Amino acid sequence: MADHSAYIDAAAATLGLKLTAEQRKGVTTYFALAAAMAEKVQGLPLSTADESGNVFVPVAPGSDR
Amino acid sequence: MSANPDISAGAIADAVRSGRGSARDAVRASLDRIAATEPRINAFTEVLAERALRRADLVDAHPRRARMKLAGVPFAVKNLFDVAGLTTLAGSRIERSRPPAARDAALIRRLEAEGAVLVGALNMDEYAYGFTTENTHYGPTRNPHDLARVSGGSSGGSAAAVAAGQVPLTLGSDTNGSIRVPASLCGTFGLKPTFGRLPRTGSYPFVATLDHLGPFARCVADLALAYDAMQGADRDDPACAQRAVEAVSAQLDHGTAGLRVGVLGGWFRGMALTDATAAVDAVAQALGTTRLVEWPEVERARAAAFIVTCGEGAALHLDDLRQRAADFDPMTRDRFLANALIPAAWLVQAQRVRHWFARRVARVFETVDVLVAPATPCVAPPIGTEWLDVGGQRLPARASMGLLTQPVSCIGLPVVTVPLWGLSASAPHMPIGVQLIAAPWREDLCLRVAARLEAQGICSAPVARGL
Repeated sequence: MADHSAYIDAAAATLGLKLTAEQRKGVTTYFALAAAMAEKVQGLPLSTADESGNVFVPVAPGSDR
Repeated sequence: MSANPDISAGAIADAVRSGRGSARDAVRASLDRIAATEPRINAFTEVLAERALRRADLVDAHPRRARMKLAGVPFAVKNLFDVAGLTTLAGSRIERSRPPAARDAALIRRLEAEGAVLVGALNMDEYAYGFTTENTHYGPTRNPHDLARVSGGSSGGSAAAVAAGQVPLTLGSDTNGSIRVPASLCGTFGLKPTFGRLPRTGSYPFVATLDHLGPFARCVADLALAYDAMQGADRDDPACAQRAVEAVSAQLDHGTAGLRVGVLGGWFRGMALTDATAAVDAVAQALGTTRLVEWPEVERARAAAFIVTCGEGAALHLDDLRQRAADFDPMTRDRFLANALIPAAWLVQAQRVRHWFARRVARVFETVDVLVAPATPCVAPPIGTEWLDVGGQRLPARASMGLLTQPVSCIGLPVVTVPLWGLSASAPHMPIGVQLIAAPWREDLCLRVAARLEAQGICSAPVARGL
């Protein structure tokens, strides 16, 4: 299993999250779980035509109160 | 009005419309039932007796009373819905310090416009991030059919209140399974409509691109009644589709003749215990189908929903994670902290996988109308259960309750969950739910099949006895 310790410390510091020792243990476990999920997601070969399902909808004048 | 806790929303509304009963008596009966059972269930975080009785009197005196579709029907909502004058907790301690909501959520307003009466707010997992409603701040909501077991979540209070006969109708939210899981574990009917069908205006978000709202009830007709009253566009929710109301109540008795029904295989059988597969088999037999259908890459779709949940869910709470992480529920805190750290590339790829999956599943629905799948891998586990053995793996029990719902909500399909009974060898007194899944915007098909199964006696949602 990959060691995410350095990434967790750097990302937490960058975001201004101060992790206690107790929290860090849980965070390490759950980050590893997310990484395993990300591996499955990254494992699907997609083309540049496979775009996100999130489609931005422009807002016309008068349609947003 | 009858104090019978089994009474349906439709029966209450009929009585109040005709003058055989009053909204005040219906609400009073609901409040009495809540008072009598709540110490054992813990479904409510707030009971609004004064507001409800005042509102009931308005319904009784209303000039449109005889035409109100939900006249005098008591209902309650997950405490992530705004209720005017109440602080919207979303299951958290942190939100307690926010000001009260100025206005009711859109769906509360729509139900009350048809004469329904809000009686309270319901317990949930903190910020909707969980499948068990073992909330540390407000205590666990207990399963009315076995008080030692979880109610499911995150809309656990919504399912338990209906199963306990406290109210005939509740609202919950479903991001990854939070209507379908508690409906399955508490033995109620539940509807998660198509993503974008019902407006979320005035509700506390969890994952904006995955959040759905929907009803729980003890019969299909009540689900449809509430659903019809809540439909309609709302431009205050950018995800709400600009679609006209497509009422379904009058179609429930159209039957299933001509509908192409299949059973989802692969992941949906592999990650279910025999409790769940037996329920699916019973439904398939009742519907006369042996057709097995597989979706491609379901495990990756579930992972995509997981990652989107991580990224969007944590970003929403970043300020509080920075400033007061200790105030989060220990059940969610470390997950939110970990999720805040995930790289953007994971989130973007997850959204792309989600769209890829939606397109493949749409092709499957060109040859089938309704698909049947288990709602949960097993019946409700005991409160405090940590691990579940399923699919040849030992998995965290709480997260695993959503294994079979996440791939479906990931692509926004409409689902009705129907409860079956007596299929678990180890817990024959417990219910388990089956998902009836259709193509986007075809809630009518899910509800028609559910109504057919209900009429056949295959599924039912009785009030828990002995409370």
